[in-house]
This record gives sequence, structure tokens and C-alpha cells, in this order.
Amino acid sequence: MWPYHPELLETPVPRYTSFPTAADFDVLPACHYRTALERTQGDVSLYLHIPFCEQICFYCGCNTGKANKRKRLESYLRALHREIETVAALLPRGTRVRRIAFGGGSPNAIAPVEFLRLIDALTIQFNIDEPVFSIELDPRTMSREWAQVLAAVGVERASLGVQTFAQHCQQAIGRVQPEELIVQTVDWLREAGVSSINFDLMYGLPGQTLDDLEDSMHRTRVLGADRVALFGYAHVPHIVARQRVIDATNLPDRHQRFAMASAGFGYFLTHGYVPVGFDHFAKAGSDPLAAAATSGRVRRNFQGFTDDPSDVLIGLGASAISSFPGLLAQNEKNSGRYRMKAGDGQLTVNRGIHRSADDRYRGAIIERLLCDGRSRVGARLLAEVAPRLEPFIDRGLAHIDREWLSIEPDGLPYARTIASLFDAYRAVSPRQFSSAV
Amino acid sequence: MNEPFLSRTANFCDACTVRNRAICGDLDNEEIVALNAIGQRRHLSAGENLLWEGDDAVVVANVVEGMLKLSTSTADGKEQILGLAFPADFIGRPFGHSTPYSVEALTDVLVCVFRRADFDKFAREHPRLEHKLLERTLSELDRTRKWMLLLGRMTAEQRVATFLLDLSVRFPVEEEVGTQPGAFALRLSRGQIADVLGLTIETVSREFTKLKKAGVVSLPNRREVAIEDREALEDLAS
Repeated sequence: MWPYHPELLETPVPRYTSFPTAADFDVLPACHYRTALERTQGDVSLYLHIPFCEQICFYCGCNTGKANKRKRLESYLRALHREIETVAALLPRGTRVRRIAFGGGSPNAIAPVEFLRLIDALTIQFNIDEPVFSIELDPRTMSREWAQVLAAVGVERASLGVQTFAQHCQQAIGRVQPEELIVQTVDWLREAGVSSINFDLMYGLPGQTLDDLEDSMHRTRVLGADRVALFGYAHVPHIVARQRVIDATNLPDRHQRFAMASAGFGYFLTHGYVPVGFDHFAKAGSDPLAAAATSGRVRRNFQGFTDDPSDVLIGLGASAISSFPGLLAQNEKNSGRYRMKAGDGQLTVNRGIHRSADDRYRGAIIERLLCDGRSRVGARLLAEVAPRLEPFIDRGLAHIDREWLSIEPDGLPYARTIASLFDAYRAVSPRQFSSAV
Repeated sequence: MNEPFLSRTANFCDACTVRNRAICGDLDNEEIVALNAIGQRRHLSAGENLLWEGDDAVVVANVVEGMLKLSTSTADGKEQILGLAFPADFIGRPFGHSTPYSVEALTDVLVCVFRRADFDKFAREHPRLEHKLLERTLSELDRTRKWMLLLGRMTAEQRVATFLLDLSVRFPVEEEVGTQPGAFALRLSRGQIADVLGLTIETVSREFTKLKKAGVVSLPNRREVAIEDREALEDLAS
């Protein structure tokens, strides 16, 4: 097991899917986003947010609503189609789309025909060049038609919300999905030619034991998952109101959570997976993310750890975040206001932050530390963090060799905390994040 | 929908030449009668529009005869061709609110038109049709992808070759009465072909001449073409 130093994990830290983080966003007029789009060059990636699920799980902090309100879903999709036109018209002709990701919510909460129409619209509006398609899927709403459509579109990567195979944990989080459902989904996806299947798993769930976790990891491997993302359940009912339903007395304590994260890491490491960042794993030798990890090409973005080399990500849909070298911009979160603005042909961005040269420098260090476990750090910045880095170096969790700061293998669970030392925003605004492990 | 050019014939489905290939192909007789009752046949002359982009999606249609052009206008006001519709193709967006493209008849056209609300209701009540709809949406995506590739990445030679192959497949020669064996009608003028392929008339004419000189096609007259060497044409298209 990793060495446990609870005193170093006391301060909750961000996940750094961007830097600055979404918590540091401020009001941002949409015209800044417009300018960033108009100045974009080269290859871009698209993310489409489908904030609907057939059933809402108790634990989920995503911006989602129930899909059963047909009218609302239809008017959302109409607005999304309109946003696709608005945004595409602003991009210079030379920009090429090389990656298209669908996330949510559950993109398969919409009908397969609706998904096809979105692909059709993207094909018409953007300059799409043999893109890599990826999609998040809810196994509970997976169908043969969906598999047929994924095959026709050429979706290569899919991510399944599995979370746990333990029935008592599934009940506790309001996500009951028998194993047969996962097996059927994997079969359909393989038949459809999906070559990279990710399983999202969780530790720290109510009532979950180490044995439960190991059993889930074992089943995940046997089912042939190409990638695994192992997240700690963040119990923050003061932020995610729907979590109030979950019985907090039954949650594993901090030490148990640490042991679970450690066991998870050890399991995948010894069963043919390459660790990617601090919570992703990819099958060695076959999955492109594993190849990226071994050659230092992993990047951090809103979807986690990725092999996407593009510097520009355009987010479409309510609450979606776009990322440019000099700007982070978030679409209107409120679904009603999003539908109204986007449906009217307006850009809906209303929050975000400009990334200053200092932000970019610090952001690059944070990204490299999280993705590669090491980063070059300039003398000035190293001097700034030195006192706060000391406890980690003293305990053998990190070391400095000239201008290189490296996190030791044992220091992995502390990677986010070490990275946060370079986050100038945290020093001034202590906010509530989930704990690092 | 009581305009004079609409005609409602009791059993036009019986004599329909595309019925086996069209979206209604899998329906049984009873269902066909029901669908027939909500459909109307409509003739369009070349140049007439069936749908306008951005309109409320009032109708959907099966193409029975002729060719139509699907297009949208880009942000800078230019016309962007999205593809061609041939007999047995389905156009319009069931379960959609607005029409994402304009549809214009390139030749004289016969279509079988349904009010969208009627069609949606029928599709909901007949799962077989709903499944067909998925297939049609898949072929619509194929058409879009193909056309975007054609306009965005193909040379003039590839575009013309692709167009001729398409035409030969969509209007099988056996249904044709050409002036020489294997010949089929081009249906479109050089100017129309240039328009849909994003080329100039001169380029289209030049490509036709090149293909003829190479013995890949023969051109019995200005309105007909015969493919002499299909393999060579396929090579040129790819």
C-alpha cells in the first residue's frame, strides 16, 4: 500500500481538469468567446453535452435532468443544432475537427435517430476530417439500434458508467444495473466495432468493502475493459442536493478510502494495465491511451486524461466548457436560458476566465505533474513553493533534481496536492473540493 | 393542402414503381392502405421547391420519379449542396421541427407527400416504419458524408466519375430506353451538373470529353451517357 500521510491530504484540492479551474471562473461576456473562435487555427476537438439521463443516480454531480420530459429534450436538441450552426460559422475555414466527444448525462438518453441528426449537422457545418468519435453510454438505456448507429457513425471509443458490480452498493447509490446488462452492452459495442471501451468505476461508495471493489475490478478486467477510470465517490450533499438521499453513516472513512485507491492502483498495475495520470488505467500494448502514457503524450482535459493533442476544445450544449490557449469559456448552465439564447442564434457563454501567461505557465506545470509525474519548474516558482513542498520531499514522496520536480511512485496519491502548490488561485480562495483520495 | 396540383388517387400505391425500395417497403397491405390514406401524390416541375430550409417541417416525402437537390445556405450566404435525392429516397425530417435543408426539383418530379404530423403519428403506431426511419436516417448521413467529401476533397475528375456511377446505380439501365445499349439519361444539363458538383460548366464539359477520349464512357448525345469501362470509372472515382 501507498504510505498514508493523512495530514498531507487534509486540504481538499481540485481535480485540475483545467487550469484555472471552473471554480475560478467569473462573469465573461460572450464576445470574448466569439473572438477566440474567430482566431482559432489548426485542429480542434468538439465536445457535445447531452444533459439528460433516463434515471438520475443519487451520487451524480453532473448537470443533468430526467429524459422523460420529451418536449424539453426536443427543444434542447433544437437549440443544440442551432448552436452548432452559430459556432461553426465563426470558425475560420482552415480549422479541422479531428475529435468529437459526446458526454453528459447520458448521450444515449436521446433517440438513435436524434444522434444521427446531430452527426449529420456536424458533418455539414464543420470541416470534419476523419475524426475520432467517442461517447459516454448508460448501459441501462443501451439498445441494438444504438449499437447499429454507433457502428454506422464509426464510433471507436465508448465509456460505460459501471461504477460497481456490487448490488448493495448499486442500491445505495440508486443505480441498479445487473451484470447481464453490462455484458450485453459490451457485446453490442464490440460487434459495432468499438475498439476502446472504458469502464468508470468508483471506490468509497456507501457500504462498499475492499472485497466489493476487488470483485468489481476483477469483473471489469474479465469483461475486457480497455480503459478504466477509478474515481473516489465525493460525498458533498451541501453541493449536490440529490446526495442527501444517501446514508452517510455507511461511507468508508478516509483511511479505508485511501486503502481502496491504493488497492485499485495495485490491481490494475499487476493485471496488464498502464496507469494514466492518477486515476486512469489503459490496457498495455493495445489501447492508444496506454501508448500515449508510455511516451509522455497524455493531456488533461475536461473528460479526464486523454491522448488528444489539440489545444482547442469547443464545448457545445448547456454548461459545456470551451478551452483555448488563452481562454476558458463556459456556456450558460441553466437549461432554459441556454435553450432561449442558443435557439436565438446567440453564443451562450456567460462565465469563464482569460488565461494569463502566468496561468499558462502554472497550468503547464500542473498538467505535466498530473500526467507524467514530473515537470520542469523555473527557479522563481520553485523558490515560491519550496516551503510547502518540503513536507512531501521530507517524506520521500517527491524530489527535486536541478530544475525538475518529480513525484515518486509512492507519491502518486499526493499528486493533486503537490500540483495544487502551483495554483496561485488556491492560496487566496479556499473553497470546498472533494478530497484528493 | 388543397392545392390543385395535389391528386389523391384511390390506390396509387399499387402501381408505385419504388414501393419495394421505399420506406413503405416492409408494410403489409392493410398498413399500405392506411398510409395511402394520409399520402398525396404531387408533381413538381424542374426548378420548383418542395421544402424551404428553416421552414416548419410541414411535410415529408418519398421520391417516386425524378431527381432533387438538397441544399442549405452557409453563414456567408452561399448555397451549400448536401446531395441529391433519387427515386425511393425519403426526404424531410419526421419527428423534427424545422427543415434543415431546401429541396428543389432538378427534373420533373413525382413525390408522395405526407403531412409530417400525420406521418409521425403513423410511424409511432407502426414500429416497422419507425425502424425503417432509422435506416433512412443512416442513409441520409451517408449521403451527407459522401457529398461533403466530394465537395471538400475530390478533384473534378473524381466528382464527375462519382456522379456518373451514382446515376447509373440509382437509375438502373434496364429501366432506361436509351439510344444505344447500356446508355442512360443524364437528366441534368451540363450547367446543373456543374452546380451540384461545385464545378464550372467548362470543367464539366472538359471532364466528359476526357472520359470519352479515354474510352471510359460514350456520349451518344448531349442528354445520354453509357458507361463503357465501369472498372476504370470506379478507379477514377476513388
